Amino acid sequence: MPEVSFVVLDPSGLHGRPAARFVQVASRFESAVMLRSGERSANAKSMLALLSLAVKPRSEITISADGGDADEALAALAAELGETVVPTQGGTPVVPEGGNPSPP
Amino acid sequence: MVGLVLVSHSAQIAEGLRDMVGQVAGEDTPVTTAGGTEDGRLGTSAPLISAAIRAARDAGADDVLILVDLGSAILSLEVALEDFDAAERSRIRLSDAPLVEGAVLAAVQASIGASLDEVAEAAAGAATMTKVPVS
Repeated sequence: MPEVSFVVLDPSGLHGRPAARFVQVASRFESAVMLRSGERSANAKSMLALLSLAVKPRSEITISADGGDADEALAALAAELGETVVPTQGGTPVVPEGGNPSPP
Repeated sequence: MVGLVLVSHSAQIAEGLRDMVGQVAGEDTPVTTAGGTEDGRLGTSAPLISAAIRAARDAGADDVLILVDLGSAILSLEVALEDFDAAERSRIRLSDAPLVEGAVLAAVQASIGASLDEVAEAAAGAATMTKVPVS
């Protein structure tokens, strides 16, 4: 099952509009999409579940998708998150060339 | 598409919540309001509720979920529903959810093209929603 991890830069974490957009994008795909934060995991197609995760800024989230369009779903969600997150590999933020993963 | 009608004893609460819901869930979901009385006092009004339901339908809502702030709104709501025939009423549902949280959850659910049952279920989840993070 493909998954991608990010550190959340948005100072409000994953709440309100960003969470709603996440649900809206995830819901376009047939695959089951889960979002993990710490030891808890939520159905990414449920606003209640996402909000209940209470994702904090600078915490790591992992998005996984299971189904025929899993890769497309992850790509679309990564695109939606855009610059509000930094990809990580093994818990270490991937610093883009000349970039700075710190939030403003 | 499912639309929402926000009923509050205060016009400002209803209108402020509509703005907030639109910003969170996007403007595609029809959300209308019935806040306060017709002469601008605090309270609820059957004609305003009835008009808000019709406005939601005019804005493209095939089904309507109504959320209220306090139970005393239900009396006005029952009078308002007398304006609608049985077929129309079957596509109008009343939610017992807390107004603000319920409206946000319902609007997000409606925005992904969910059914009236699914939107009502999403709103109902607001009753047990945690806001203070468990740490």
